[in-house]
Amino acid sequence: MTPARTTVISLIGLAVLVVAPLVLLAILPQNQAQFWTSNILGRGLVFGLIALSLTFLATYGGFISLAQMTVAGVAGYTVAVLTQGAVPTIVGGLPYALTIPAGLFASVLAGLLIGAISVKTRDIYLLMITLALAMGVFRFVETNIAWFNGYEGIRNVVGPDIFGLSFRSTYVFYYSVVASCAVLYFGILYLVRSPFGLVLQGIRDNPRRVSALGYNVGQHRIAAFGVAGFIAGCGGVLATIYNIGISPGSIGLGASVNILIISVIGGLGHPIGAFVGSIIFTVFDTFAATIYDRERFNTLIGLVFLIIVLVSPDGVVGLKGRLMALLKPKQAKEAKSP
Amino acid sequence: MSAVPALRLSHVCRQFGALRAVHDVTFDVMPGERRAVLGPNGAGKTTLFNTICGDFPPTGGSITLFGDDITTLKPHHRTRRGIGRTYQTSLLFNGLTVLDNLYLAVRGVRPNRFSFRAPKATDPDMIAARTMADRMRIAHMLATQVDQLSHGQRRQLEVGMALASGPKVLMLDEPAAGLSPGDRPELLKLLKDLPRDLTLVLIEHDMDVALPAADIVTVMKDGEVVVEATPDKIESDPVVQAIYLGGGH
Repeated sequence: MTPARTTVISLIGLAVLVVAPLVLLAILPQNQAQFWTSNILGRGLVFGLIALSLTFLATYGGFISLAQMTVAGVAGYTVAVLTQGAVPTIVGGLPYALTIPAGLFASVLAGLLIGAISVKTRDIYLLMITLALAMGVFRFVETNIAWFNGYEGIRNVVGPDIFGLSFRSTYVFYYSVVASCAVLYFGILYLVRSPFGLVLQGIRDNPRRVSALGYNVGQHRIAAFGVAGFIAGCGGVLATIYNIGISPGSIGLGASVNILIISVIGGLGHPIGAFVGSIIFTVFDTFAATIYDRERFNTLIGLVFLIIVLVSPDGVVGLKGRLMALLKPKQAKEAKSP
Repeated sequence: MSAVPALRLSHVCRQFGALRAVHDVTFDVMPGERRAVLGPNGAGKTTLFNTICGDFPPTGGSITLFGDDITTLKPHHRTRRGIGRTYQTSLLFNGLTVLDNLYLAVRGVRPNRFSFRAPKATDPDMIAARTMADRMRIAHMLATQVDQLSHGQRRQLEVGMALASGPKVLMLDEPAAGLSPGDRPELLKLLKDLPRDLTLVLIEHDMDVALPAADIVTVMKDGEVVVEATPDKIESDPVVQAIYLGGGH
């Protein structure tokens, strides 16, 4: 797909997200429209942002990291620890105007640190080392009461007011999320055309040649994890505000694997897959208990994951290409026959 | 007058466990010299290349580039100091276009190589990449993704990428490998047309490409240099004949 075509399709997708709340208000009662706007689309996009950080690393660098939820959690915990009004007060006293940038700064640092630790590894070894780091942070947070309030986590992180409007308003939250997603998504499309982005794709294809051209492979890899850390941090801050707090469960094994599942469902071939995957995942995560069995809703999510991976290993985004490939020989055969 | 060698190898060794892939190799390549490295399969030619370029740092000896010791430098530092190379099997960025590959090659030795700013069409490095594509006769394929190229086009791009960084020492590892007989004279012309101040080290099995392009030939066997001579003497050298035709003949 050409960059121009990608941009057009992305802009159409963005337009759909912008008008979706209005359409929902037109066809559903107000409380249901708000539920779909906030709990399905809004929440889906927030986790899509965290998945976007993984998709960025995987699509352009070939790095699969299981620590992206941890990096998001670092941002979320930084905001929760520092913010005025959070319960319990750990440091507190600071407004969101300072704690959110601090959270993003911390997530970039965490990303850079994970990138530096894992700089020599690839494939399954990268997956394992990032999983180990994620579980280490999870256990540390869960058992540390003085800094993170242990298992209970930190509550009452309600979010800032934006131009006098509360972040708790469904539509303020939703459009803040959409704006964040748009800026970061189009930022990635721009970044991958820069020398940094091209080198990253070069590392994916052939790290030895990248080095032979004069580039420092390790430096670019670590920087990529830093960029992904910023993206995950944005998702982490929004997720913390959405959940009105953060607890260790939100950075545990299940949450970390969910980000990978979201990315695989959507497809690791293009950043848009992160959002497609996260909205599908959120729909099933929300309704699976109702339509199947409350006790076994994970089975349904697992089945959906299995079907998508079997039918299209490139995820939902790759479905079109697979359908076209299936139809083409048939069309050619029909054209040949008299 | 004693000029500083472009490349000086002093007792260079490279071992992989008990295997001596390169052993006690010593020679100088003077600025502007064209040197061919010949030898049978397994002679250690490509390992020697990888040792010079830093992919496999030497386990013994030293390497200097224009008088500077580069023995322990990483590959990207050696490239920045003026070594450009190709690989026996083309190592290209298959997911990128021809233009992107050449642009990365041009950009790799620039001080501002690490940048988050996307280049415009008028960027001097972009223009240099297009010029190189023109020189390598692949200008009509700038927007083509590299995995769509034929073998011959991939070899052309490979050489173009090595030249794009403006190296002082160019190292070509079997540039004619896999080329059709019709493409070889073109490659030879390209090699002969290279600027005379560019130092060239060439591994090549095809004598028809290697000998006309070289000023001096180094023959290796079992990781060691066995003969060093001018191209006109090399074919009649009894040691070379023994290596290529077998010792008993």
